[in-house]
Amino acid sequence: MNDIGEFTLLVALATAIYGCVSYVMAVRGNRIDLYLSADKTPLIVWGCVLISSICLWKAFLTNDFSLQYVWAYSNIELDTFYKIASFWGGQKGSLLFWTLLLTTYTVVVHFQNRKTNLRVVPYAMAVLLVIIVFFLFLINFSTNPFERIPLPPEDGRGLNPLLQNYWMVIHPPTLYLGYVGFTVPFAFAVAALISKNLDDGWIRLTRKWTLISWFFLCMGNLFGASWAYVELGWGGYWAWDPVENAAFMPLLIATAFLHSIMIQEKKDMMKVWNMSLILLTFVMTIFGTFITRSGLIQSVHTFDEATLGYYFLAFLFVILLACIALIISRLPLLKSKNQLDSFLSRESSFLFNNLVLLGIAFATFWGTIFPIISEAVRGIKITVGPPFYNQVNVPIGLALLALIGIGPVIAWRRATLSNLKKNFLKPLAAAFVAAIALLPVIPLGSRTEIYTYATFVLCVFVMACIIIEFYKGTASRMGLHEESVLGALTTVTWRNKRRYGGYIVHIGVVLIFAGIAGSQAYGTHIEKHLNPGESFKIRGYDITYEKLVAIEATNVKTRIIAQLQVERNGSHYWTAKPEKEFYKGQNQPVSEVDVLSTWKEDLYMILADFREDESATIKVYVNPMVSWMWTGGWIIAFGTMISMWPDRLEQRRRLERFRREELLFPSPAQE
Amino acid sequence: MEFVHFLELIFVVAVLLLVGIPLFGKFQYKKLVEVVNPENDEYKHLLVRKEETLISIKELEFDLSAEKISNSDYQDLRKKLEAEANEIIERLDQLEQGRKKAKSAR
Repeated sequence: MNDIGEFTLLVALATAIYGCVSYVMAVRGNRIDLYLSADKTPLIVWGCVLISSICLWKAFLTNDFSLQYVWAYSNIELDTFYKIASFWGGQKGSLLFWTLLLTTYTVVVHFQNRKTNLRVVPYAMAVLLVIIVFFLFLINFSTNPFERIPLPPEDGRGLNPLLQNYWMVIHPPTLYLGYVGFTVPFAFAVAALISKNLDDGWIRLTRKWTLISWFFLCMGNLFGASWAYVELGWGGYWAWDPVENAAFMPLLIATAFLHSIMIQEKKDMMKVWNMSLILLTFVMTIFGTFITRSGLIQSVHTFDEATLGYYFLAFLFVILLACIALIISRLPLLKSKNQLDSFLSRESSFLFNNLVLLGIAFATFWGTIFPIISEAVRGIKITVGPPFYNQVNVPIGLALLALIGIGPVIAWRRATLSNLKKNFLKPLAAAFVAAIALLPVIPLGSRTEIYTYATFVLCVFVMACIIIEFYKGTASRMGLHEESVLGALTTVTWRNKRRYGGYIVHIGVVLIFAGIAGSQAYGTHIEKHLNPGESFKIRGYDITYEKLVAIEATNVKTRIIAQLQVERNGSHYWTAKPEKEFYKGQNQPVSEVDVLSTWKEDLYMILADFREDESATIKVYVNPMVSWMWTGGWIIAFGTMISMWPDRLEQRRRLERFRREELLFPSPAQE
Repeated sequence: MEFVHFLELIFVVAVLLLVGIPLFGKFQYKKLVEVVNPENDEYKHLLVRKEETLISIKELEFDLSAEKISNSDYQDLRKKLEAEANEIIERLDQLEQGRKKAKSAR
């Protein structure tokens, strides 16, 4: 099987190279035979990569330690669940997994578009295949997961215990689905530039792809935060680690893109901007893989054998230069014929939102690469920590939060001052009431407290704006059609999926902002060394350490569990069981925290240390409003689903457009 | 020959057949796309613009019914959008007529 897996990777590479060349030659020479030949390559490449992946999965499941990669990331005792996930546990497998997702997306794009837009699609397919070729080249010649060990050992080294968490199965694939997905709009953008088809056709073709990728990247970031929260045992969920930043930056730029394409669709303007944004989003996804695989920047997330930095750096520069050259060469065609009608319009609020999002992305980028720059210039690696990011990004983030409320309330094209006054009166009144009500609760002594206060007030303002939007839409519908409140609300949302789906996403974002503000400003923690029976208090919780229990969970894992009783207002509230897990062959034990999560706060317990006399060091965090963030994530998922849901009216309009085009300018039939 | 190598050989032959057969096939149409016609591009673009302008008018009506904009703003913007839509529809008609004439002349 391993021979087959290795061989199919080579066939995939050869086929992908042939596919790129033949797609380009087909469209350049206007040859249908070449196109139909190239047309087979996405499916073949996908099939080859799939076979290869199945071979690697089989090697994991059958404990085939003749493969160096399987030996390094698995062992006999590892759960089947984690053996499946070990596939992407290291650099080699993760690249193969990336390629599997990329080829899968390519096949879907191929089936969606193979008979339409034949001036653009062949170029888009060629771009997708070029990227696949790059990854297949690395897998075949630099980091082959089928590399053999001459004398296979009896057992493997095992998966890093930190990765033995159910999030390992969910978080990386979700994040990769987001990262890889942006290749599709990037490929269509480049194809539009090459073929000079620079209307908004490429945006319409890839809008759903962008939304899907954005959704996965957003969820990937949240899942990653959730994983860090329960696994790393430091009480937090985000540390501005370079790899976290690498996933955050494309999300920010893609969010800017999703907003600014609405202006291009509506007003046929901002073509250069949108083109630049999607190209930058893709470049940032490659930058993310560069960070995890270069070994240049220290992060807890980088792969052990991070050796591919120069390949990714070279690829990054080639893409960047090619994109800049393409945009410059097409500038006359990208020129907008229209202008903003008014400074006071939704369009201009979207422009501000774009600038703010890019501001956060740039600050994050600067902080991420600063250690490399400082080392190159001064010879000293200066690491940039959370204080820098918080100082720069928090005020910009607050401006963004305000714009989330302002944008939807302002009318498209032009708003007058009198209307703005009328539309903002109620949300501002709500914010004012919140500001007064929160004054006695939140002291304004430090900068953090001022920011927290501002965040909560702005959250109320934005929520009021969104609720009023829903109310106005529903009331208008009820007035026209005599429907019930629920019926009108459902219809108005369903008939305007993009608009109201977007508003629901904004509600999720508001909850995330509130959760971050609450947990960052009002969290508290305590560390105590206790003997059995001893108690301590934190924020109204009476915590008693009862005992220490040792369990031989498996042949390779021993669990040391501390049992603590938590009382609140004199009655039993919760039995906490934080633990430490010891894995055979691993030097460091792994902390498994225990968390009781409510809408108000999380009670977060860590067994920091223990001694033979059964005394233990217990660390307790009280983190307010953390669950708001996870709830916000699910609301974002729900809103995105609504926005993405196929719109029958839109489909009908598109079909009508095609019918009229075909009637007037018939294209040659395919096959 | 080992079984694995035999499988690999079969695999390569299958791939070559899949990509090779179309190169020797006979097709009703030789060309992948028609020679680029700037009018076609303009027509496609205008159809989209027309659609977007009509959607904007509908949204404007919705904004008025939701009391998001005043009646005078609504009237101003509607006039502007209707003028845009008329301009687009006139140009679409011109292109359609021109194309039909060209077809009948052939």
